[in-house]
Amino acid sequence: MADLIGKDFTPPDIRGKVTGSAKYAEDFRMDGMVFCRLLTSPMPHARVRSIDLRAALEMEGVVGILTADEVPEQNGPANNILTNEPHFVGEPILAVAAESETIAQNAIEAIVLDLEALPFCVDPLQSLHPAGPNARTDGNTIVPREGVQEVKWTLDDFAAAGEGELPMGEPTAEWSYGDLEAGFADAALVLDESFVTASNAHHSMEPRTAMAYWQGGKCYLHGSTQSQAQVLGGMARYIGIEPENLVYIAEYCGGGFGSKGGAYPIMSIPAHMSRKVQRPVMMRISRAEEYFLGSARAGFQGRIKIGFREDGRVTAADLYIIQENGPNSGFGDMGSAAGAMSLVYTPLAMRFRGISVLTNTPPRGAQRGPGQNQLATAVEPIIDKAARQLGLDQVDIRHINAPDNNARYGAGQGPVTSAYLKEALDLGRERFGWDERRARSGQRTGSKVVGVGVGQAFHSAGSNGFDGLLRIDPDGTLFIHTGVGNLGTYSYASTSRVAAEVLKYDWDNCEIVRGDSSRHLPWNNGQFGSNTSFTMTRTNYAAGMDALQKLKQIAAIELGGSASDYDVGNETVFNRSNPSRRITYARAAQRAIELGGAFSGQEVPEDINGMTRRSVEAMAGTGLIGVARDNLERNGTVPALSAGFIEIELDVETGRVEVKDYLGVMDCGTVLHPQSLATQVKGGAVMGFGMAVTERHMYDTQWGLPGGVGFHQAKPPSYLDVPAHMDWAAVDIPDPQNPVGAKGIGEPAMGCAAAALLCAISDALDGHYFNRTPIVPDMIVNASMGRGQSHRPLQVNTQ
Amino acid sequence: MMKDMIPGFELYQPVEVDRAIELLGEFGKDGWALAGGYDSLDWMKNRGKRPEAVIDLDGLDALKGITETADGIEIGALTTLTEVERNPIIRERFSILGDAARKVASPQIRNAGTIGGNVCQDTRCWYYRYGVSCYRAGGNTCYASAPEALNREHAIFEASRCVAVTPSDTGPVLVTLDAEMVVRNGSGERVIPAEDFFMGPAVDIERMTVLDPGDLLISIRVPNTWAGADFYFEKVTDRNSWDFALVSVAAALRTNGDQIEDARIVCGAVQCTPKRLHGVEAMLRGQSRTEDLAERAGAAAIEGAEALNYNHYKIPLMENLVKRAVRG
Amino acid sequence: MSEMHPADIGREGHGTSPPTHTAADPPGTQVLLPETRSGWSRRDFIKGVIASGVTVSGAVYFGASLTSPRPLFAQGVERLISLNVNGNVRRVDVLPGETLAMTLRYKLGLTGTKLGCDRAECGACTVLIDGVNQYSCSTLTHRVKGREVTTVEGLETDGELHPVQQAFIDELAPQCGFCTPGQVMSAVALLSQNPDPTREEARIAMSGNLCRCGAYDHYLNGVMRAAQETQNG
Repeated sequence: MADLIGKDFTPPDIRGKVTGSAKYAEDFRMDGMVFCRLLTSPMPHARVRSIDLRAALEMEGVVGILTADEVPEQNGPANNILTNEPHFVGEPILAVAAESETIAQNAIEAIVLDLEALPFCVDPLQSLHPAGPNARTDGNTIVPREGVQEVKWTLDDFAAAGEGELPMGEPTAEWSYGDLEAGFADAALVLDESFVTASNAHHSMEPRTAMAYWQGGKCYLHGSTQSQAQVLGGMARYIGIEPENLVYIAEYCGGGFGSKGGAYPIMSIPAHMSRKVQRPVMMRISRAEEYFLGSARAGFQGRIKIGFREDGRVTAADLYIIQENGPNSGFGDMGSAAGAMSLVYTPLAMRFRGISVLTNTPPRGAQRGPGQNQLATAVEPIIDKAARQLGLDQVDIRHINAPDNNARYGAGQGPVTSAYLKEALDLGRERFGWDERRARSGQRTGSKVVGVGVGQAFHSAGSNGFDGLLRIDPDGTLFIHTGVGNLGTYSYASTSRVAAEVLKYDWDNCEIVRGDSSRHLPWNNGQFGSNTSFTMTRTNYAAGMDALQKLKQIAAIELGGSASDYDVGNETVFNRSNPSRRITYARAAQRAIELGGAFSGQEVPEDINGMTRRSVEAMAGTGLIGVARDNLERNGTVPALSAGFIEIELDVETGRVEVKDYLGVMDCGTVLHPQSLATQVKGGAVMGFGMAVTERHMYDTQWGLPGGVGFHQAKPPSYLDVPAHMDWAAVDIPDPQNPVGAKGIGEPAMGCAAAALLCAISDALDGHYFNRTPIVPDMIVNASMGRGQSHRPLQVNTQ
Repeated sequence: MMKDMIPGFELYQPVEVDRAIELLGEFGKDGWALAGGYDSLDWMKNRGKRPEAVIDLDGLDALKGITETADGIEIGALTTLTEVERNPIIRERFSILGDAARKVASPQIRNAGTIGGNVCQDTRCWYYRYGVSCYRAGGNTCYASAPEALNREHAIFEASRCVAVTPSDTGPVLVTLDAEMVVRNGSGERVIPAEDFFMGPAVDIERMTVLDPGDLLISIRVPNTWAGADFYFEKVTDRNSWDFALVSVAAALRTNGDQIEDARIVCGAVQCTPKRLHGVEAMLRGQSRTEDLAERAGAAAIEGAEALNYNHYKIPLMENLVKRAVRG
Repeated sequence: MSEMHPADIGREGHGTSPPTHTAADPPGTQVLLPETRSGWSRRDFIKGVIASGVTVSGAVYFGASLTSPRPLFAQGVERLISLNVNGNVRRVDVLPGETLAMTLRYKLGLTGTKLGCDRAECGACTVLIDGVNQYSCSTLTHRVKGREVTTVEGLETDGELHPVQQAFIDELAPQCGFCTPGQVMSAVALLSQNPDPTREEARIAMSGNLCRCGAYDHYLNGVMRAAQETQNG
């Protein structure tokens, strides 16, 4: 398979992006459309005592108001659609629809809202203290499988921790493997480090605007999501209808980074409003609202004790994480962080303990490498610290601990499908000229110092069990139906090419069908978790093989013999021993329609999902249908691994850091689409740099007010904050559990860059470790000028 | 807090300066002079400011452009920052002003943002911009100076109930260059030295400049006094685009060999107005430009600095910037 | 504890004592808590808050704008004006406070220009005004009467893409695509003023366009390629 795989191509959706014809949710218009704006909570935790809507309702141009009791209440600590007990500044209480946004905004100001202030919390450690506040009235932690609980540690727990050390009271999650005590006893060096990694906003470029209207008993919803098929069921539930009555359109998504992975509640507001006011409703989400409603990365207050042998091998690791979880159920970052620890460093023994604490800050959710990337930023500098103390090279100490194909992962210590992190380190070491650059570390020119660093990251990168769906129409065109979504990575396209590859199709005769649930799409996974390249290649391969088999069977019926006598090429099916005996794909498709049965989708496999089944039924009799569930062998975790190499110049007088060079090396199996991988590596690095040195949530602790709303305050990196040139490479060794050898990538590409930059800063400062992410100029100035830091060591959501 | 959608107002688009002044006088506090719009529209969209009338200055071509005068140059208040950056006279004689203009915000903002707007702009204290009712907003407290407040960007000098800082990049440079601001209103015209143009909270806690309602900044005159001097400008920020200064320094040294004949040093973002370092300037006069002098200048510059919870880094940072300015 | 000072609402965990550290002291792990309040419990605090029915401290939460209310001037009055957009004269009703981005997107059907932040902090709304790249979200529409406005839709001629657009495709510059129209416009403005820029000059010229996907490297490759292709004619 070499024709389409591993080649660059022009994805079908790119032209619309450069011409402006690509339509995102806010670009759609309907006759009679009205505008909906949200009244959001000004307080971090409050209860609505009364709402007076009279003046607002009387205002000319106001069409309707939607309150929390008119929409389905979400159970437990879930993100709400609307609420009368907001748990964070910015949580929507009600929505106002009007002829224009300005009128809607004026109406909101005319609403008299009586709010009762409730206790709030923005720092998990405070909440765990016996006298500390709780973010919710029903508790302060989320316990796996048990929901919201109140957990308070004891004064002794706090007293047991020394200055700057994380107290470690009773956790709510724990696992371990190996003999921890023996591991530490074996160690030549034991480090005990407490650390903080900040929360930060996703700040997707496109705020999650949505537009909805009803027609013929169906709800039409234009939304912004990374995924397609995965969204339908959830949105139908939020709207209170059957999935069959929802048409969901999301051809383009202006960024998600995990925050738009599936359905989310507020996207249903225009649907509810539209049903109420009988007009199409556009709910434009502003940048400030996107900060509040657009998810955030969970912060960590953590501590790790690591034991190293003389040669740098990690003998034991004891990891404790307090997760700053927002007010709702959040995400499983701390568990994932622990998983990453177990794989990237393959410690001989390990324990993880954690507790997920609620705070009155924007709800947290998955953000690019959720847990894994926080861990990378926290632990990679500690590895460097150990290397320094043991007299080892930073690449060497990583190499000895890096996973290979026999590595074990996580609590269950299960197998991995493949792992080539050592190879990535080797490749990067050479390509980056690591040894030569490392010799320059510490070199000083005036106030500028050279620093170098290497960073690593991991994310699981593949799933299975989803349905592929193809159609060859009587003209001979191949339609590849894909329900995975479109995050902007083009992997929906590169993975679709696998089907074309199987069928040896000319790519110019192929069309990808996607982006609108009424286009008969199959049940696919979502575009999240770095999984697309692995999962969708398998899925499209399965459908491709099904179509291939049917083509051969039809040829056998037409021309005699059995299916195994036939092969394909140039979009014909031909007899191997007598190639002149052949039929075109177009002809085969016509025959498929005539033959019916499974050939044309009149019969479907038993094991496909209901959504796929419905799609096939709708297309039955229109061509040759290839449909199959991915039942290929699947055993173990699919790991995407990465190593980032960096050289910086740090100015000790101003605290400014300039990245001079960066190389990201990926272990993502076979490279499907080189240009796209390049852009993932570099784009991930940019986001990683932001995580490392500029971005963080900030909350005034007295009032619970957010200080990092909007791009200017949140500080995502600009052109001038990253080097003019960045480099990329891939190990390009196939994974055995994928028909083309591909694994996903995307998340580790960010973590390894963030980690490398943090390591390089400490390197430039001759081994000064901050145990904190991000490291901002003031911290560097304080360190280089020998002053203390302003923040307390374990403080979160602070400057 | 950010609410979006500008509330209604009456829009006036005069093309004559006199007419603009007439309108500004007529509306007084209820009017708003709109230059580039990058400070103004933020306030209006956030509904923090709701003028009844907006007087759009963009049609006042007479206030655009840079001209030679008998003893210097005159920069129309509505000259864009891009124009200031690229102007050949400024490049040749007052390169420090072009350097500062180039560092403002982003290219698109510089293309429409004006030098007048840049010096008149309101402070960026995040509490104030959030919309809380603080002193500067007419209330009776300061949130940024509270014991646990997040104030890493705030002042280390001249705190007087308010601890906000000047966000302007060109302001400190204009003070360095001994510039003068030409202000006109219905009663006539007056000329104010740049150093006296800015106001701290001790004088008026609700305004950043001496402009009263009805006043219009017409132009900025830069004398040839410092033309071709040894200039130094540095702005330390988090990011290299869009961000306001954490601390900035603007310096002009007139040297004879390595002897300093005269000096101007002004820091930005350390207090509510551009901070001219008179004491340091006196220290430098007649001295040789050495590393030792630079160090002493830095130490002198920060005397009397008082840190808040999160901004003590500004003290060594300011010291270092002054050192670098003297070092050259 | 019968009375709760409004300023203490939500400040549980923060007594009125001074901060536990100053700039001079090395920071400790001490958590700020009012343990010294004898006989005071967390439950008392909650009861106190709920019973006292306080929204006094709401002032900070509701902001200065509501402490001095002024009559809302609904939207202002629309005026019919002529705009020159992409070489065409368009007649449109425009409110005084209406921004060019809103007019383009909601009244002229030109949705290529995007709203990323509406606050001049991202560049997704970048258009050309008399050939100069500016943020349309921060430009009053009434200001561009008599000027030439160019949006991304105005670049294609007879189905042929502008060299910048083609170069961005060839270099796979856009990822999610939301910042792309703005990037295109800034690149077009750059090359019209400086047809042969260095990569560094391009980098500075583009620096008012944010890309959350981080595609800067590829966009720059696209700009340099477009410059090359245009030079080659």
